[in-house]
Amino acid sequence: MDALAAIAERVASRNSRLEKIRCIAGYLSSLSDEDLPRALRFLSGRPFGPRDARRLAVGHASLREAVVAAGGWDPETVRLCIREVGDIGEAVSLLMRGKTEGQPLSLGEAERLYAELARSRRAEQKENLLRECFLRYRPLALKYFVKVITGDLRIGLQAKMLEEAVALAAGADPAEVRQAVRRTGDLAETALAARRGELEQISPHLFRPVDFMLARPIASAAEIPDPENWLIEDKYDGIRAQAHVADGRAALFSRGFAEVTAAFPELVAALERLLGSAILDGEIVAWRGGRVLPFSALQQRLARKEVPLFLPLETPAAFIAYDLLLRDGRELLDRPIEERRVELERLLAAAGEPLLVAPQFTVAGRDELERLFEQARARGNEGLVLKRRGSRYEAGRRGGAWLKWKRPLATLDVVITAAEQGHGKRAGVLSDYTFAVRAGDRFVNVGKAYSGLTDEEIRELTERLRELAVARAGPLLIVRPEIVLEVAFNGVQKSARHDSGFALRFPRIVRWRRDKRPDQTDDLDRVREIYRRQSSVSGP
Amino acid sequence: MRIEFSGDGIYLPDLDLWLDPRRECRRAWISHAHRDHAGAVHREVFATAETLEFYRLRHEGALENSALHAVPYGQARELAGARLTAYPAAHILGAAQLLIEWRGERLLYTGDIKLRSPICGRSTELVRADRLIIESTFGLPVFHFLDRQQARDRIVSFARQCLEENRVPVFLGHELGRGQEIAHVLGQAGVPIQVHPAIARYLPAYAAAGFPTPGWSVYEGEVAAGAALILPPRLRSSLPSGSRRLRVAYVSGWAALDNARARTGAEELIPYSDHADFDELMAIVEAVGAHEVDVVHGYTDAFARILTLRGWLARAPQQARLEERNG
Repeated sequence: MDALAAIAERVASRNSRLEKIRCIAGYLSSLSDEDLPRALRFLSGRPFGPRDARRLAVGHASLREAVVAAGGWDPETVRLCIREVGDIGEAVSLLMRGKTEGQPLSLGEAERLYAELARSRRAEQKENLLRECFLRYRPLALKYFVKVITGDLRIGLQAKMLEEAVALAAGADPAEVRQAVRRTGDLAETALAARRGELEQISPHLFRPVDFMLARPIASAAEIPDPENWLIEDKYDGIRAQAHVADGRAALFSRGFAEVTAAFPELVAALERLLGSAILDGEIVAWRGGRVLPFSALQQRLARKEVPLFLPLETPAAFIAYDLLLRDGRELLDRPIEERRVELERLLAAAGEPLLVAPQFTVAGRDELERLFEQARARGNEGLVLKRRGSRYEAGRRGGAWLKWKRPLATLDVVITAAEQGHGKRAGVLSDYTFAVRAGDRFVNVGKAYSGLTDEEIRELTERLRELAVARAGPLLIVRPEIVLEVAFNGVQKSARHDSGFALRFPRIVRWRRDKRPDQTDDLDRVREIYRRQSSVSGP
Repeated sequence: MRIEFSGDGIYLPDLDLWLDPRRECRRAWISHAHRDHAGAVHREVFATAETLEFYRLRHEGALENSALHAVPYGQARELAGARLTAYPAAHILGAAQLLIEWRGERLLYTGDIKLRSPICGRSTELVRADRLIIESTFGLPVFHFLDRQQARDRIVSFARQCLEENRVPVFLGHELGRGQEIAHVLGQAGVPIQVHPAIARYLPAYAAAGFPTPGWSVYEGEVAAGAALILPPRLRSSLPSGSRRLRVAYVSGWAALDNARARTGAEELIPYSDHADFDELMAIVEAVGAHEVDVVHGYTDAFARILTLRGWLARAPQQARLEERNG
């Protein structure tokens, strides 16, 4: 971990993509076959491999507790330091400077520690283990040890660059590495194969899930300049799933590579009747009377691990397929979407309920697109997914060849806690706002938004915020929580960046709620509720 | 001795003396020549000779009605029945702490200060006092800075590495203090440099004080190959963005945090400051031995709380006022 940390620091201090890649490649070459997969996982911000179901479940609060205990700092100082530093791993390393035994930390030992964290059930156990780690290892190694826990190294290293570094280190063709990763969804496995010169032998394995291609969210039709260049499907409120079928056997995997075969025996039975072998991508939905029912109707079935002897009376499920990744040993990921679609329709032509093919639409212009969106909503679906004509199946990527357009979740009323000057034409005004929700008698931050207000409103807000200033932290003006905004967003995710432990995804300001007081804003319970409801297994 | 804190500065009514006032006043002690301390013109000014020279440069033509009194380091002088003595504070050239002795009470005002030796200027001398007013620009325990030898090495090796790669090393450093120190270090190492005029204007004073910079030329907006460029941080945006020819280093206490990269666009972070880091601040407080500590500037609340938890009688007075006004 010490060497990995030193390399990560060098990568962070280089803007040049090529230099970053060279740096990583040199490091990867120096690693043993055992350490190579570990290093690649950690550099991707993951403690475990992509098919590993283990979760660390180490929260912001546990990390904070551990550094309070290990460093002997008071909780308030630690909280403030984390806020100022903006990254809990970096804060831990700075707060533990001069207070650790300075023992080296090997990648193998780090892996063992992550496993132990995942095994520990109670927060107290996890905190004890973290405290011991904080006292034992060097601060720089701790910085990255913790960053892997929080899931983001923040050194300007994208997944694609790691792939290129793997290729460079092994003297392999980057395009081949990329393809191999797409097939297996596993960079570490690919790196080992590349090192042995066995890249060609890598192909998607039946009954081992391929990384799902993901869709980038858009907020309106205005973001699509060329609606005629897209193939359009409804966005279903279901469970994104991959069906693997071969010779009368079938399995279903959801996002996160969890196998959900046992939960949907009627789908498995139908899949088993298909001829030949195939990997299908689609959505498991609750289905009755030719309509998709709300996702919650299915949720209780997900927990099931074994097929029950008698099928209880419950909401019937359907599998709406929309892509085909493999057919009778032929890999289709790199074939254009139109060709995959033709093969998919052929495969399911005779199947019928509960195996369906997602209807596909095309439009001539933006008006038609808007109408289609409203129709999808009227059918009870979430919105639309747009797929670029001619595109390949980019496993594991949220690359922009697929777009999803759904109504934002309900909005939240939040209060501004800090403001920062913008850039460009907004350089002179406070246009970037950190905002919070209520948590007991205080406010905890849940996000930061840049857009949505008029220039006039921003000017007025700037004046108000300057009056409310209580302190300055670098470029950040900390203000008394007074001003209430209504924000829309695309989801809620766990985040170490904010003291609430949550961050809104793609927040945008809907309006300035001059009519509301800070004590009338939404609270953390509501954010938690939204987080729980938007199941992470749902949708592309 | 009474002390009044306000948004305008620190006022000692028994002496009718302001410490680093932000507004025009009758009689002022100016700890050093940065704008937030020396930005206003006063009728009577007490400061070190170096600070006065910078003060004259800053307020050229506006000082006809001001009496400027040079206060040498270490020599006590009388004022309104008190004894004032200046001690080096190492912050920038001319920076000084002020010890005020009045009716048997000793008050030490640090101004901006660091404990590590500076690249240019005198090292801080600490004296004991009953009451301490200290700055806390970097008063959080996440700030750890380089000492001057480490900083010299980092600055020179970054410059040489860039030049070897046929790229231009750009250093962002404050226009008074850090800028001249970087220039001095690079000049002494034989690296050719271009210096922005805002920094260059103070170079003669640094040379006169014994810190010469050989081999520099004025930067007039044209980046020269084969030389390092020294710019005030605010002018980072004037450089061509995304140029592969340039590599930017940020030399500052704020460079102790990775988020400085996003803020300044610098690749290389060199955490060398003209302020004390957290451990230095603690060492200063301990060495002065005052039983009462007032914390001004920066993370005042946080630093005062840490001191309080460790047994000092510490306050963050200006912060309190600001909140009162808002509340």
